[in-house]
Amino acid sequence: MTASPFSLIAELTHRCPLHCLYCSNPVALKGAENELSTADWKRVFAQAGRLGVLHLHLTGGEPLVRGDLVELVSAARESGLYVNMITSGVGLKEDRLSALVDAGLEHLQLSFQDQDEAAANHIAGARAHALKLALVPLIRKSPLALTVNLVVHRMNLDRLPEFIVMAEELGPDRLEIAHVQYYGWALKNRSLLMPSEEQVHRSIAVVEAAKQRLKGRIHLESVVPDYFGSFPKACVGGWGRQTILIDPIGQALPCHAAAVIPNLVFDNVRSHDLAWIWEQSPAFQRFRGDAWMSATCLACPRKEQDFGGCRCQAFLLTGDADAIDPVCTYSPHHSLLQTLRGQTPELLPIWRG
Amino acid sequence: MDMDSIPVLAHGCRLHPTQDVLLVPEGTLQLAGPSRDVLARVDGKHTVTAIVDELLLEYEGADATEVRADVMQLLASLEQRGVVRAQR
Repeated sequence: MTASPFSLIAELTHRCPLHCLYCSNPVALKGAENELSTADWKRVFAQAGRLGVLHLHLTGGEPLVRGDLVELVSAARESGLYVNMITSGVGLKEDRLSALVDAGLEHLQLSFQDQDEAAANHIAGARAHALKLALVPLIRKSPLALTVNLVVHRMNLDRLPEFIVMAEELGPDRLEIAHVQYYGWALKNRSLLMPSEEQVHRSIAVVEAAKQRLKGRIHLESVVPDYFGSFPKACVGGWGRQTILIDPIGQALPCHAAAVIPNLVFDNVRSHDLAWIWEQSPAFQRFRGDAWMSATCLACPRKEQDFGGCRCQAFLLTGDADAIDPVCTYSPHHSLLQTLRGQTPELLPIWRG
Repeated sequence: MDMDSIPVLAHGCRLHPTQDVLLVPEGTLQLAGPSRDVLARVDGKHTVTAIVDELLLEYEGADATEVRADVMQLLASLEQRGVVRAQR
Protein backbone atom coordinates (compact mmCIF):
# COMPACT_ATOMS: atom_id res chain seq x y z
CA MET A 1 0.00 0.00 0.00
CA THR A 2 1.32 3.42 -0.97
CA ALA A 3 1.08 5.96 1.88
CA SER A 4 -1.80 8.44 1.46
CA PRO A 5 -1.15 11.74 -0.28
CA PHE A 6 -1.26 14.86 1.91
CA SER A 7 -2.46 17.31 -0.70
CA LEU A 8 -4.90 17.57 -3.52
CA ILE A 9 -4.36 20.47 -5.87
CA ALA A 10 -7.57 21.25 -7.75
CA GLU A 11 -7.01 23.39 -10.83
CA LEU A 12 -10.66 24.34 -11.12
CA THR A 13 -10.21 26.27 -14.36
CA HIS A 14 -7.51 27.72 -16.55
CA ARG A 15 -9.56 30.88 -17.10
CA CYS A 16 -7.89 33.86 -15.44
CA PRO A 17 -8.24 37.66 -15.54
CA LEU A 18 -4.46 37.94 -15.11
CA HIS A 19 -1.82 37.14 -17.70
CA CYS A 20 1.29 36.90 -15.56
CA LEU A 21 4.55 36.68 -17.43
CA TYR A 22 5.64 33.95 -15.02
CA CYS A 23 2.45 31.86 -15.27
CA SER A 24 3.30 28.25 -14.44
CA ASN A 25 0.25 26.82 -16.19
CA PRO A 26 0.87 24.98 -19.45
CA VAL A 27 1.43 26.90 -22.65
CA ALA A 28 -1.74 25.30 -24.08
CA LEU A 29 -4.56 26.00 -21.62
CA LYS A 30 -7.64 23.81 -21.24
CA GLY A 31 -10.82 25.42 -22.51
CA ALA A 32 -13.85 26.14 -20.31
CA GLU A 33 -16.06 23.81 -22.37
CA ASN A 34 -14.28 20.69 -21.10
CA GLU A 35 -14.03 21.66 -17.42
CA LEU A 36 -15.18 19.18 -14.78
CA SER A 37 -18.71 19.73 -13.51
CA THR A 38 -19.72 20.58 -9.96
CA ALA A 39 -20.76 16.96 -9.41
CA ASP A 40 -17.38 15.71 -10.70
CA TRP A 41 -15.43 17.89 -8.26
CA LYS A 42 -17.68 16.96 -5.34
CA ARG A 43 -17.11 13.28 -6.07
CA VAL A 44 -13.33 13.85 -6.26
CA PHE A 45 -13.32 15.70 -2.91
CA ALA A 46 -15.26 12.87 -1.24
CA GLN A 47 -12.79 10.35 -2.68
CA ALA A 48 -9.88 12.48 -1.49
CA GLY A 49 -11.27 12.58 2.05
CA ARG A 50 -11.60 8.79 2.06
CA LEU A 51 -8.07 8.42 0.68
CA GLY A 52 -6.70 10.38 3.67
CA VAL A 53 -5.84 13.65 1.90
CA LEU A 54 -5.55 16.46 4.45
CA HIS A 55 -5.19 19.66 2.42
CA LEU A 56 -7.13 20.85 -0.59
CA HIS A 57 -5.69 23.70 -2.62
CA LEU A 58 -8.23 25.34 -4.88
CA THR A 59 -6.41 27.06 -7.66
CA GLY A 60 -6.50 27.68 -11.38
CA GLY A 61 -6.34 29.90 -13.36
CA GLU A 62 -8.59 31.88 -11.12
CA PRO A 63 -10.91 29.76 -8.95
CA LEU A 64 -13.29 32.73 -8.50
CA VAL A 65 -14.25 32.35 -12.16
CA ARG A 66 -16.17 29.21 -11.19
CA GLY A 67 -19.79 30.11 -10.38
CA ASP A 68 -20.04 27.02 -8.16
CA LEU A 69 -17.09 27.89 -5.93
CA VAL A 70 -19.08 28.29 -2.69
CA GLU A 71 -20.75 24.93 -3.27
CA LEU A 72 -17.36 23.32 -3.94
CA VAL A 73 -15.81 24.72 -0.75
CA SER A 74 -18.73 23.46 1.25
CA ALA A 75 -18.50 19.97 -0.31
CA ALA A 76 -14.75 19.87 0.37
CA ARG A 77 -15.23 20.67 4.06
CA GLU A 78 -17.95 18.05 4.33
CA SER A 79 -15.42 15.58 2.92
CA GLY A 80 -13.07 16.44 5.79
CA LEU A 81 -10.54 18.47 3.80
CA TYR A 82 -8.69 21.60 4.93
CA VAL A 83 -9.60 24.20 2.32
CA ASN A 84 -7.14 26.70 0.94
CA MET A 85 -7.72 28.96 -2.04
CA ILE A 86 -5.01 30.49 -4.19
CA THR A 87 -6.47 33.54 -5.85
CA SER A 88 -5.70 36.82 -7.55
CA GLY A 89 -8.65 38.26 -5.62
CA VAL A 90 -9.84 40.01 -8.75
CA GLY A 91 -13.62 40.33 -8.63
CA LEU A 92 -13.94 39.15 -5.02
CA LYS A 93 -16.52 41.27 -3.21
CA GLU A 94 -17.42 41.27 0.47
CA ASP A 95 -20.62 39.22 0.11
CA ARG A 96 -18.92 36.44 -1.85
CA LEU A 97 -16.00 36.40 0.57
CA SER A 98 -18.37 35.90 3.50
CA ALA A 99 -20.23 33.19 1.61
CA LEU A 100 -16.90 31.39 1.05
CA VAL A 101 -16.00 31.74 4.73
CA ASP A 102 -19.43 30.47 5.79
CA ALA A 103 -18.97 27.51 3.43
CA GLY A 104 -15.75 26.64 5.28
CA LEU A 105 -12.86 28.29 3.47
CA GLU A 106 -9.94 28.39 5.94
CA HIS A 107 -6.95 29.93 4.23
CA LEU A 108 -6.49 32.31 1.35
CA GLN A 109 -3.31 32.97 -0.57
CA LEU A 110 -2.94 36.26 -2.38
CA SER A 111 0.07 36.96 -4.53
CA PHE A 112 1.61 40.34 -5.28
CA GLN A 113 3.76 41.17 -8.27
CA ASP A 114 5.60 44.30 -7.07
CA GLN A 115 5.16 47.09 -4.53
CA ASP A 116 5.10 49.57 -7.36
CA GLU A 117 1.63 49.60 -8.93
CA ALA A 118 2.66 50.15 -12.54
CA ALA A 119 5.35 47.47 -12.37
CA ALA A 120 2.95 45.04 -10.68
CA ASN A 121 0.25 45.58 -13.31
CA HIS A 122 2.83 45.17 -16.05
CA ILE A 123 3.93 41.75 -14.73
CA ALA A 124 0.32 40.62 -14.16
CA GLY A 125 -0.81 41.84 -17.56
CA ALA A 126 -3.83 43.39 -15.82
CA ARG A 127 -4.75 46.28 -13.53
CA ALA A 128 -4.95 44.05 -10.50
CA HIS A 129 -2.61 45.58 -7.91
CA ALA A 130 -4.99 48.17 -6.45
CA LEU A 131 -7.81 45.60 -6.32
CA LYS A 132 -5.61 43.22 -4.37
CA LEU A 133 -4.58 45.89 -1.89
CA ALA A 134 -8.21 46.90 -1.36
CA LEU A 135 -9.20 43.29 -0.70
CA VAL A 136 -6.77 42.70 2.17
CA PRO A 137 -8.68 44.68 4.87
CA LEU A 138 -11.83 42.70 4.01
CA ILE A 139 -9.93 39.43 4.39
CA ARG A 140 -8.45 40.60 7.68
CA LYS A 141 -11.93 41.28 9.06
CA SER A 142 -12.84 37.64 8.35
CA PRO A 143 -11.64 34.58 10.29
CA LEU A 144 -9.45 33.45 7.38
CA ALA A 145 -5.73 32.79 7.58
CA LEU A 146 -3.98 34.95 5.01
CA THR A 147 -0.76 34.21 3.17
CA VAL A 148 0.74 36.99 1.12
CA ASN A 149 2.94 35.64 -1.61
CA LEU A 150 5.60 37.86 -3.15
CA VAL A 151 6.65 36.56 -6.53
CA VAL A 152 10.22 37.63 -7.23
CA HIS A 153 12.49 37.64 -10.28
CA ARG A 154 15.11 39.77 -12.01
CA MET A 155 12.82 42.75 -12.52
CA ASN A 156 11.76 43.24 -8.88
CA LEU A 157 14.40 41.51 -6.77
CA ASP A 158 16.38 44.71 -6.21
CA ARG A 159 13.30 46.24 -4.54
CA LEU A 160 12.78 43.27 -2.19
CA PRO A 161 13.28 45.27 1.05
CA GLU A 162 10.48 47.70 0.12
CA PHE A 163 8.37 44.82 -1.21
CA ILE A 164 8.63 43.05 2.17
CA VAL A 165 7.66 46.26 4.01
CA MET A 166 4.55 46.50 1.82
CA ALA A 167 3.64 42.91 2.68
CA GLU A 168 4.33 43.46 6.38
CA GLU A 169 1.93 46.42 6.44
CA LEU A 170 -0.80 44.23 4.99
CA GLY A 171 -0.54 42.15 8.20
CA PRO A 172 -0.75 38.58 6.88
CA ASP A 173 -0.30 35.47 9.03
CA ARG A 174 2.21 34.08 6.57
CA LEU A 175 4.52 35.58 4.04
CA GLU A 176 5.99 33.58 1.19
CA ILE A 177 8.81 34.84 -0.94
CA ALA A 178 8.63 32.76 -4.06
CA HIS A 179 11.16 32.89 -6.82
CA VAL A 180 9.66 32.29 -10.22
CA GLN A 181 10.15 28.74 -11.44
CA TYR A 182 10.55 28.08 -15.11
CA TYR A 183 7.68 25.81 -16.05
CA GLY A 184 4.74 26.33 -18.37
CA TRP A 185 4.50 29.85 -19.76
CA ALA A 186 7.26 31.09 -17.44
CA LEU A 187 9.84 29.05 -19.34
CA LYS A 188 9.23 31.26 -22.39
CA ASN A 189 10.24 34.27 -20.29
CA ARG A 190 13.11 32.61 -18.47
CA SER A 191 15.77 34.90 -19.80
CA LEU A 192 13.70 37.95 -18.88
CA LEU A 193 12.90 36.69 -15.37
CA MET A 194 16.07 34.93 -14.26
CA PRO A 195 17.96 37.04 -11.71
CA SER A 196 21.69 37.52 -11.61
CA GLU A 197 23.77 35.65 -9.03
CA GLU A 198 24.54 38.92 -7.32
CA GLN A 199 20.81 39.74 -6.99
CA VAL A 200 20.13 36.31 -5.55
CA HIS A 201 22.92 36.60 -2.97
CA ARG A 202 21.77 40.05 -1.86
CA SER A 203 18.19 38.80 -1.55
CA ILE A 204 19.18 35.93 0.75
CA ALA A 205 20.52 38.40 3.32
CA VAL A 206 17.39 40.56 2.99
CA VAL A 207 15.13 37.56 3.60
CA GLU A 208 17.15 36.39 6.62
CA ALA A 209 16.93 39.86 8.21
CA ALA A 210 13.17 39.96 7.59
CA LYS A 211 12.74 36.50 9.12
CA GLN A 212 14.40 37.69 12.32
CA ARG A 213 12.44 40.93 12.42
CA LEU A 214 9.05 39.28 11.83
CA LYS A 215 9.57 36.30 14.13
CA GLY A 216 6.48 35.50 16.19
CA ARG A 217 4.38 37.95 14.15
CA ILE A 218 4.47 36.79 10.55
CA HIS A 219 5.69 33.34 9.59
CA LEU A 220 8.04 33.82 6.64
CA GLU A 221 8.92 31.07 4.20
CA SER A 222 11.23 31.36 1.26
CA VAL A 223 13.22 29.07 -0.96
CA VAL A 224 16.48 29.77 -2.75
CA PRO A 225 15.78 29.70 -6.48
CA ASP A 226 16.44 26.33 -7.97
CA TYR A 227 18.85 27.35 -10.72
CA PHE A 228 21.23 28.80 -8.12
CA GLY A 229 21.39 25.79 -5.84
CA SER A 230 23.88 22.95 -5.66
CA PHE A 231 21.32 20.27 -4.88
CA PRO A 232 17.82 19.82 -6.29
CA LYS A 233 14.57 20.47 -4.46
CA ALA A 234 12.34 17.63 -3.29
CA CYS A 235 9.88 18.53 -6.03
CA VAL A 236 6.25 18.12 -4.80
CA GLY A 237 7.74 16.17 -1.89
CA GLY A 238 8.79 13.43 -4.30
CA TRP A 239 6.97 12.06 -7.34
CA GLY A 240 3.77 10.26 -6.30
CA ARG A 241 4.61 10.60 -2.60
CA GLN A 242 2.50 13.50 -1.29
CA THR A 243 0.55 15.29 -3.98
CA ILE A 244 -2.14 14.72 -6.58
CA LEU A 245 -3.06 17.49 -9.00
CA ILE A 246 -6.30 17.41 -10.95
CA ASP A 247 -6.34 19.69 -13.97
CA PRO A 248 -9.49 21.50 -15.19
CA ILE A 249 -10.55 18.61 -17.45
CA GLY A 250 -10.03 15.94 -14.80
CA GLN A 251 -6.59 14.54 -15.63
CA ALA A 252 -4.66 13.41 -12.55
CA LEU A 253 -1.02 14.56 -12.58
CA PRO A 254 1.77 14.01 -10.05
CA CYS A 255 2.70 17.72 -10.39
CA HIS A 256 1.57 20.79 -12.30
CA ALA A 257 4.22 20.49 -15.02
CA ALA A 258 4.15 16.71 -15.57
CA ALA A 259 2.40 17.02 -18.95
CA VAL A 260 5.69 18.18 -20.51
CA ILE A 261 7.18 14.71 -20.03
CA PRO A 262 6.65 12.64 -23.17
CA ASN A 263 4.74 9.35 -23.16
CA LEU A 264 3.03 9.86 -19.81
CA VAL A 265 -0.67 9.03 -19.92
CA PHE A 266 -2.81 10.75 -17.30
CA ASP A 267 -5.84 8.90 -16.04
CA ASN A 268 -8.99 10.95 -15.61
CA VAL A 269 -11.19 11.32 -12.53
CA ARG A 270 -14.21 11.05 -14.85
CA SER A 271 -13.43 7.36 -15.28
CA HIS A 272 -11.31 6.39 -12.25
CA ASP A 273 -11.51 6.68 -8.49
CA LEU A 274 -8.79 8.79 -6.90
CA ALA A 275 -7.60 5.86 -4.75
CA TRP A 276 -7.12 3.75 -7.89
CA ILE A 277 -5.26 6.59 -9.58
CA TRP A 278 -2.97 7.05 -6.58
CA GLU A 279 -2.16 3.34 -6.36
CA GLN A 280 -2.31 2.23 -9.99
CA SER A 281 -2.09 5.05 -12.51
CA PRO A 282 1.10 4.47 -14.56
CA ALA A 283 1.91 8.21 -14.51
CA PHE A 284 2.13 8.12 -10.70
CA GLN A 285 4.24 4.95 -10.76
CA ARG A 286 6.67 6.27 -13.37
CA PHE A 287 9.12 7.97 -10.98
CA ARG A 288 7.84 6.65 -7.66
CA GLY A 289 10.55 5.04 -5.56
CA ASP A 290 14.11 4.79 -6.89
CA ALA A 291 14.02 2.08 -9.59
CA TRP A 292 14.27 4.72 -12.35
CA MET A 293 17.28 6.48 -10.82
CA SER A 294 20.77 6.65 -12.27
CA ALA A 295 23.57 4.79 -10.48
CA THR A 296 24.81 8.14 -9.13
CA CYS A 297 21.46 8.90 -7.46
CA LEU A 298 20.99 5.31 -6.23
CA ALA A 299 24.29 5.47 -4.37
CA CYS A 300 23.62 8.96 -2.97
CA PRO A 301 22.22 9.39 0.56
CA ARG A 302 20.50 12.61 -0.57
CA LYS A 303 17.96 10.54 -2.52
CA GLU A 304 16.05 10.22 0.78
CA GLN A 305 15.80 14.03 0.98
CA ASP A 306 15.23 15.13 -2.59
CA PHE A 307 13.82 11.91 -4.11
CA GLY A 308 15.84 12.55 -7.24
CA GLY A 309 14.80 16.19 -7.70
CA CYS A 310 12.46 17.45 -10.38
CA ARG A 311 11.70 15.18 -13.35
CA CYS A 312 10.10 17.96 -15.40
CA GLN A 313 13.15 20.16 -14.96
CA ALA A 314 15.48 17.29 -15.87
CA PHE A 315 13.48 16.80 -19.08
CA LEU A 316 13.15 20.50 -19.93
CA LEU A 317 16.88 21.10 -19.52
CA THR A 318 18.40 17.87 -20.85
CA GLY A 319 15.67 16.28 -23.00
CA ASP A 320 15.80 13.17 -20.80
CA ALA A 321 13.21 12.80 -18.01
CA ASP A 322 15.34 10.08 -16.34
CA ALA A 323 18.45 12.25 -16.17
CA ILE A 324 19.90 13.54 -12.89
CA ASP A 325 18.25 16.90 -12.12
CA PRO A 326 20.84 19.35 -13.56
CA VAL A 327 20.54 21.52 -10.44
CA CYS A 328 22.55 18.77 -8.73
CA THR A 329 26.26 19.30 -8.51
CA TYR A 330 26.76 15.63 -9.46
CA SER A 331 24.83 15.98 -12.73
CA PRO A 332 26.99 15.83 -15.88
CA HIS A 333 24.71 18.65 -17.13
CA HIS A 334 25.23 20.95 -14.14
CA SER A 335 27.25 23.34 -16.29
CA LEU A 336 24.03 24.12 -18.25
CA LEU A 337 22.87 26.15 -15.28
CA GLN A 338 26.18 27.97 -15.00
CA THR A 339 25.79 28.90 -18.66
CA LEU A 340 22.23 30.14 -18.09
CA ARG A 341 23.34 32.17 -15.06
CA GLY A 342 25.98 33.87 -17.16
CA GLN A 343 23.69 34.82 -20.06
CA THR A 344 22.74 38.36 -20.98
CA PRO A 345 19.11 38.80 -19.96
CA GLU A 346 16.31 39.25 -22.47
CA LEU A 347 14.50 42.57 -22.12
CA LEU A 348 11.25 41.93 -23.96
CA PRO A 349 8.41 40.02 -22.35
CA ILE A 350 6.40 37.36 -24.16
CA TRP A 351 2.70 37.63 -23.34
CA ARG A 352 0.07 34.94 -23.54
CA GLY A 353 -1.80 35.67 -26.76
CA MET B 1 2.49 33.85 26.84
CA ASP B 2 2.31 33.42 30.62
CA MET B 3 0.25 31.32 33.03
CA ASP B 4 -2.64 33.83 32.99
CA SER B 5 -2.78 34.06 29.19
CA ILE B 6 -5.74 32.65 27.32
CA PRO B 7 -4.27 30.91 24.28
CA VAL B 8 -6.30 30.56 21.11
CA LEU B 9 -5.55 28.85 17.80
CA ALA B 10 -4.66 31.33 15.08
CA HIS B 11 -6.95 31.74 12.07
CA GLY B 12 -6.78 28.80 9.70
CA CYS B 13 -5.44 26.37 12.33
CA ARG B 14 -7.42 23.44 13.72
CA LEU B 15 -6.96 19.99 15.19
CA HIS B 16 -7.64 17.13 12.81
CA PRO B 17 -10.78 15.39 14.11
CA THR B 18 -9.15 11.95 14.28
CA GLN B 19 -5.44 12.10 13.46
CA ASP B 20 -2.78 13.52 15.80
CA VAL B 21 -1.98 16.52 13.63
CA LEU B 22 -2.65 20.22 13.79
CA LEU B 23 -3.79 21.45 10.39
CA VAL B 24 -2.24 24.82 9.59
CA PRO B 25 -2.03 26.88 6.41
CA GLU B 26 0.25 25.02 3.99
CA GLY B 27 1.04 22.21 6.35
CA THR B 28 0.46 19.90 9.26
CA LEU B 29 2.24 19.83 12.59
CA GLN B 30 2.66 16.36 14.08
CA LEU B 31 1.46 16.25 17.66
CA ALA B 32 3.69 14.12 19.86
CA GLY B 33 2.80 12.78 23.28
CA PRO B 34 0.27 14.80 25.25
CA SER B 35 0.32 17.85 22.96
CA ARG B 36 -3.07 16.93 21.50
CA ASP B 37 -4.55 17.02 25.02
CA VAL B 38 -3.11 20.51 25.47
CA LEU B 39 -4.36 21.83 22.14
CA ALA B 40 -7.81 20.34 22.66
CA ARG B 41 -8.08 22.84 25.55
CA VAL B 42 -6.80 25.80 23.55
CA ASP B 43 -10.30 27.14 22.99
CA GLY B 44 -10.14 30.82 23.87
CA LYS B 45 -11.66 30.09 27.30
CA HIS B 46 -9.01 28.18 29.26
CA THR B 47 -6.09 30.09 30.75
CA VAL B 48 -2.74 28.28 30.65
CA THR B 49 -3.18 27.63 34.39
CA ALA B 50 -6.60 26.07 33.78
CA ILE B 51 -5.16 23.83 31.05
CA VAL B 52 -2.40 22.64 33.40
CA ASP B 53 -4.89 21.98 36.21
CA GLU B 54 -7.09 19.86 33.96
CA LEU B 55 -4.12 17.88 32.68
CA LEU B 56 -2.96 17.20 36.23
CA LEU B 57 -6.38 15.70 37.01
CA GLU B 58 -6.13 13.56 33.91
CA TYR B 59 -2.53 12.39 34.35
CA GLU B 60 -2.52 10.97 37.85
CA GLY B 61 0.79 11.26 39.63
CA ALA B 62 2.29 13.69 37.12
CA ASP B 63 4.69 16.29 38.47
CA ALA B 64 2.97 19.70 38.47
CA THR B 65 6.16 21.69 37.86
CA GLU B 66 7.08 19.50 34.92
CA VAL B 67 3.61 19.64 33.34
CA ARG B 68 3.53 23.43 33.73
CA ALA B 69 6.95 23.75 32.07
CA ASP B 70 6.02 21.37 29.23
CA VAL B 71 2.73 23.15 28.51
CA MET B 72 4.38 26.58 28.54
CA GLN B 73 7.17 25.38 26.26
CA LEU B 74 4.74 23.84 23.77
CA LEU B 75 2.49 26.92 23.68
CA ALA B 76 5.41 29.32 23.42
CA SER B 77 6.93 27.44 20.50
CA LEU B 78 3.57 27.29 18.72
CA GLU B 79 3.16 31.02 19.36
CA GLN B 80 6.56 31.65 17.74
CA ARG B 81 5.41 29.57 14.77
CA GLY B 82 2.29 31.76 14.56
CA VAL B 83 -0.28 29.01 15.04
CA VAL B 84 -1.24 29.87 18.62
CA ARG B 85 -1.86 33.41 19.87
CA ALA B 86 -2.22 34.71 23.41
CA GLN B 87 -5.65 36.33 23.57
CA ARG B 88 -5.14 38.32 26.72
